[in-house]
Amino acid sequence: MEPEHLKKGKMGEDMACRYLAGLGWPVLARNVRFRRGELDVISKDCDEMVVVEVRYRSVGILVPPEASVGPKKLRKLVLAGSAYMDRIGWSGFWRIDLIAITDRDGRISLEHYRDITGGDVSF
Amino acid sequence: MNLVKAVTLRGVQAKEVDVEVEIAGGLFSISIVGLPDASVREAKERVRAALKNSGVSLRGRIAVNLAPADMPKEGSMMDLPIAVSLAIRSRSITLDRPAIFIGELALDGRIRPVRGAISAAVLAKEQRLPLYAPVENSPQIGLVPEVEAYQVETLGQILSHLESGIPLPQVPPYKVEDLPLSVDPDWSDIRGQAMAKRALEIAAAGHHNVLMVGAPGSGKTMLARALRGILPPLSDGEILENLMVKGLLDSDDRPDRRPPFRVVHHTASTVSICGGGTALRPGEISLAHRGVLFLDEFTEFRRDLVEALRQPLEDGSIVVSRSSGTVTYPSRVLLVLAANPCPCGWWGDAVEPCRCSPSDLERYRRRLAGPVMDRIDLQVSVSRLSPEELVGLSSSHGESSSKVRERVSMARERQRARWSFGGWGCNSEVPEKTLRKHLNLSSEGKKTLLQMAEGFRLSARGMGRVLRVARTISDLAGDDGVSSSAVMEALAYRGEI
Ligand SMILES: [Zn+2]
Repeated sequence: MEPEHLKKGKMGEDMACRYLAGLGWPVLARNVRFRRGELDVISKDCDEMVVVEVRYRSVGILVPPEASVGPKKLRKLVLAGSAYMDRIGWSGFWRIDLIAITDRDGRISLEHYRDITGGDVSF
Repeated sequence: MNLVKAVTLRGVQAKEVDVEVEIAGGLFSISIVGLPDASVREAKERVRAALKNSGVSLRGRIAVNLAPADMPKEGSMMDLPIAVSLAIRSRSITLDRPAIFIGELALDGRIRPVRGAISAAVLAKEQRLPLYAPVENSPQIGLVPEVEAYQVETLGQILSHLESGIPLPQVPPYKVEDLPLSVDPDWSDIRGQAMAKRALEIAAAGHHNVLMVGAPGSGKTMLARALRGILPPLSDGEILENLMVKGLLDSDDRPDRRPPFRVVHHTASTVSICGGGTALRPGEISLAHRGVLFLDEFTEFRRDLVEALRQPLEDGSIVVSRSSGTVTYPSRVLLVLAANPCPCGWWGDAVEPCRCSPSDLERYRRRLAGPVMDRIDLQVSVSRLSPEELVGLSSSHGESSSKVRERVSMARERQRARWSFGGWGCNSEVPEKTLRKHLNLSSEGKKTLLQMAEGFRLSARGMGRVLRVARTISDLAGDDGVSSSAVMEALAYRGEI
């Protein structure tokens, strides 16, 4: 179970990176681990750093991928993101995007949600 | 330099608030300092969504500071100035001069009307600053002469104006229509009641507070309602004062030259009459400013409530305390009280016998002589008409409201001219000493007063009230002096009921 899950996750991240490359955004880092969580992809949109959370789901699971990021997960992303920006000494703007990938029997769809915290996360 | 100004309301006064914005790197967040916590969250959501829908996306750690921070503020009025400040900072727009912005934002960027727009316009005029305000508030803002105000419908519209100089429509001046001054009932609709009508005419002329005592069904309420129709029409300035109070509520009454008339029931709360409460609103006494406040069944009012009316009646303004300080609302009203003559209501009636015991009557009279009685210049009995009287009077209609109003207005004019050196408008406002000095009491009048004062055992205060009323009676007659007959008539309303 576990290896299969990781494999799927890796597949999703690869797809997301190809998509970002298509946008012309560089992939600065992948799978950055922290004590309290992990950042999937770090990218950059013009002058703004972007923490990209990637969600991969195959059909059969009712919850759409974008709905699977709850407030608890968001808070973790914010904390880890802040820690990352501190670590690299980034004092400019940054945000968190979500890339949601759905696999419908091999038919892949990708959706990109920008700035998912919307300023509503207080920490 | 900070150029974006907001306003907050302190009573009917608008106070200037500086909107300062800092943007630093980091994940997007907004903190607003200087607003009550409860409204911060909503303001953030509205401002951000409205900006986004107007093409401005916010980023970084944003700190909005509303200064002075310790001044209590109402949240929704601040939306527009906050959004404009943020847009200016994010897009490097430069304002060439300071301006005041008021408006609540809808999520889609439309600008909603706010309470207190007139007060904001008065401030803008005083400070000689341009005002940007919701288009729905234009009829009120347009009443303020010589204000430079622009009406806006959307945040996008205001941003393209500031960025590219696309002109905005100015708020057109709004003239108060001269609507008919008539009220229901007309003076001529009231049959008989010659003495009560005369007392109310004097009350209207000199702005004297009045008490009507009479059995149930004797027509006290009808008289009080008709009184409004004989008061002089409000001036532009008085209308503005009035609308400033009304503008604090969600009211879209059209400006009217007729003085307000407000009825208060004895079950009303102190807050609803005097103002205040958690939302801090003006009370009935302020809504009746420059008009009539009618308290029916006066003896049923709680003593503490009556006590609370004393100061505002005296000062013409009411101070309301709240945790964060005090606010002042205007409260220059003509107070009209109505009461039954005794607990059962029939004392002195021609037909029904009074069933009250002497101790009942005694208690009742003590209640009637409550805390505001020394603010009542006139007392008058209103008696029920017998069927014969009603039949006899049915054909003879008295003077119309407009006829009496003319006389009242002329009497007011005389008073204004006499007291212009002190800025008083009516005999009731003039300090006792000044009144006595400029009374011009005839020697006959003086003689009458001295004789009667002894007979009626008039107190010094009671005598002062009689003189005040006598002065108004003479002003109604167009008389520069105060004659003996004016004193005699005034004595009839001295109130020994
Ligand atoms: Zn009785």
